Amino acid sequence: MTSSPESDRAAAHQAAAPMAALSRRRFLKTALLGSAGLAVLAGGTFAVLRRSPVDGMAVPDTIRHLSHGEYHLFRRATEVLLPVAGTPLTPLSEVPVLAHIDAMMGLLPAHLRKDVSAGLALFDNAAVVSGWHGRRFVDLDDNAAVAYFDRWSRGHVIQRTLNAVIKQFVYVSYWRDPKTWPPVEFDGPVSDRWGIAYLGNAPLPDESALPQTVENRT
Amino acid sequence: MSTTSNRIEIDSAEMPREGLKVVQASDVTGDRLELSADVVIIGSGAGGAVSAYELARRGLDVLVLEAGPYVPSRDFTEDFTESLETLYEDHGAQANTDGDLLVLQGRCVGGSTVVNGCVSFRTPDFIFEEWHSDYGLTDFTSESMAPYFERVERNLSIQENRPHEIARHSMVLSEGARKLGWSVKPFKRNIRECALTGHCLSGCKTERKQSMLVTYLPWAAAHGARIHSDTRVDRVLSENGRATGVEGRVVDREGRHIADIRVKAPRVIMAAGAVQTPVILQRSGLGNDQVGRNFACHPSFYVGARYPQPIHPWRGAMLGVYVDEFMHPDNGGFVLEVGGLGIAELCMINEPGTGKPFVDYMQKAAHMAGIVTLIHDHNVGEIRWQGDHKAIHYQLSDKDFPSMMASLKAAVRMHLAAGAEEVFLPSSEALSVTREADIDGQVDKLVNKPQHLRMVSYHPQGSCRMGTDPANSACDPQGRLRGVDGVYVADASLLPSSLIVNPQVTVYALANYVADRVS
Repeated sequence: MTSSPESDRAAAHQAAAPMAALSRRRFLKTALLGSAGLAVLAGGTFAVLRRSPVDGMAVPDTIRHLSHGEYHLFRRATEVLLPVAGTPLTPLSEVPVLAHIDAMMGLLPAHLRKDVSAGLALFDNAAVVSGWHGRRFVDLDDNAAVAYFDRWSRGHVIQRTLNAVIKQFVYVSYWRDPKTWPPVEFDGPVSDRWGIAYLGNAPLPDESALPQTVENRT
Repeated sequence: MSTTSNRIEIDSAEMPREGLKVVQASDVTGDRLELSADVVIIGSGAGGAVSAYELARRGLDVLVLEAGPYVPSRDFTEDFTESLETLYEDHGAQANTDGDLLVLQGRCVGGSTVVNGCVSFRTPDFIFEEWHSDYGLTDFTSESMAPYFERVERNLSIQENRPHEIARHSMVLSEGARKLGWSVKPFKRNIRECALTGHCLSGCKTERKQSMLVTYLPWAAAHGARIHSDTRVDRVLSENGRATGVEGRVVDREGRHIADIRVKAPRVIMAAGAVQTPVILQRSGLGNDQVGRNFACHPSFYVGARYPQPIHPWRGAMLGVYVDEFMHPDNGGFVLEVGGLGIAELCMINEPGTGKPFVDYMQKAAHMAGIVTLIHDHNVGEIRWQGDHKAIHYQLSDKDFPSMMASLKAAVRMHLAAGAEEVFLPSSEALSVTREADIDGQVDKLVNKPQHLRMVSYHPQGSCRMGTDPANSACDPQGRLRGVDGVYVADASLLPSSLIVNPQVTVYALANYVADRVS
């Protein structure tokens, strides 16, 4: 139910909706002029080519749409954004968050997919100089990664946008799974479970009992 | 229904007890449909359905074309994410060009009436007065429109919420309003025997919501109206200044182009909603330069707060009460509506912080309650066809920003008076308020810039304004599109200024009014 292609597509569109701010032409312009873009440019080649230990890590064969870099960015983002260990919430190991994100990403229209991809690369690489972390987002420790998100939530329009997009992909991919609902007492679909009767169509109006409008009276 | 090589005919039928006879993409076998009708109506929502019934019962041959799918009530899943895909425009992701304002509209047989919260207001008197003074619309008064309102109110079982329809979130927040001395009232809703599922925005599975899907559309069909879903109208056709019909495409749910369609009709009623109606007219090259302008949308905040006690905001009637204390522009010009929501919305609507603060927030999801703010926004937006896609140009104007902030401060006060522990501000950064003394300081941190605020619009309107002056209106006071005979507008596009309240009853009444004047 919640992992159907239909709901995947809707969830993907919802999560990526803020990207409307960064249509392709505007995205590049904004990236070049914005503080995040400046950070990447200032970092120059060493920033965007900064190697990471995750570069050598594998991606599961089941992942079809996320690139290697995107997969590891979302893997790290999920750990940072959903620290549910030790809480009553459903453990991450029981919810296929990355599989959901992968499915959602595959259903984005091509132009939006390209923008999201560029945005994710920017988010990962800009950490090298944005906040002077000296390393990509995927390599930040938990505290630095949280601080990085928080700083982007207060930053330039492009930073606010990407902060929202990444969080929404992760949050929706977790919370749309019914396994996450019992700990927070969310009921989900109820009509069939409660056996509620269907009322059908309303009966045809009795026009003789209704107020007639001017033109109909005459 | 019977099908010939390139023509579909519907047998006349009595109204079924449930469901609706609809020609869907899966019913179309040829690659070209040629149809004719006395009236072709584009859109099957509030405006299209009422127009269809009123004209069909007068004996006209009515054809309704709906771009979205036909989804029978029994197929509603009560899963909001899935419903966005099947029932909403752009899969629920329709947004302004800045990407910080979602514009939610239904896109299915029945339109937005299938997925709205059932809230039913008559047009406020001061709005009619504004239409009179600013747009010369002297025919629209509370008295002259009363028969129209009464018809739809009776037809749609509109009545005030009874005590059992006031869910816990509405009870708690009513108490907050009362402590502040504010006027708070139960909503009127178009619903029969509400089952209190809280799933209004995913469609009412058991047909209690009196949407167009279970009322005016089956009634229109009983009077002979034909309804086609999956049919996207691209252009209104005209010759020598007179409408001759429409053309478009039949597209299935997977986006496959099944057939072209062409309809001959001397009358065309535009009821595709305030975004699509001007787009189709612009693509058709019809109307004056006002088509698409003057767009308003009631930009809304959903102001969520955490309470010490469980609220379960997804349980009970979704919308229970509202505060009208500030409705008149002289008193602030905003309305506060207490609304429930589900888990999918909850995780996206607030920014409580990153990591642990977010987990703490969601752990307490059952303790959340929310208030939707509505303002009387200025008509500063524009809908524009860009050659290969539509664009919604709408930024919260600096004229409206103070109203938005005033509505937000009032919502925060109401939460705190109701006993909330923490109120989350609808911002891209984590901002919250825990005591009244901090309201101004925290809210005043918000600025009117793209991607700073989290807004939603449920009520797009005004993009084909009616009025007496062609310099500021696309339609005349009878809903006729200027510049071409035989084209009428009968949806929220007509509204000359934003209503401040939920518009469905106004649209029903206006559609009836326009239909009465179709000649």
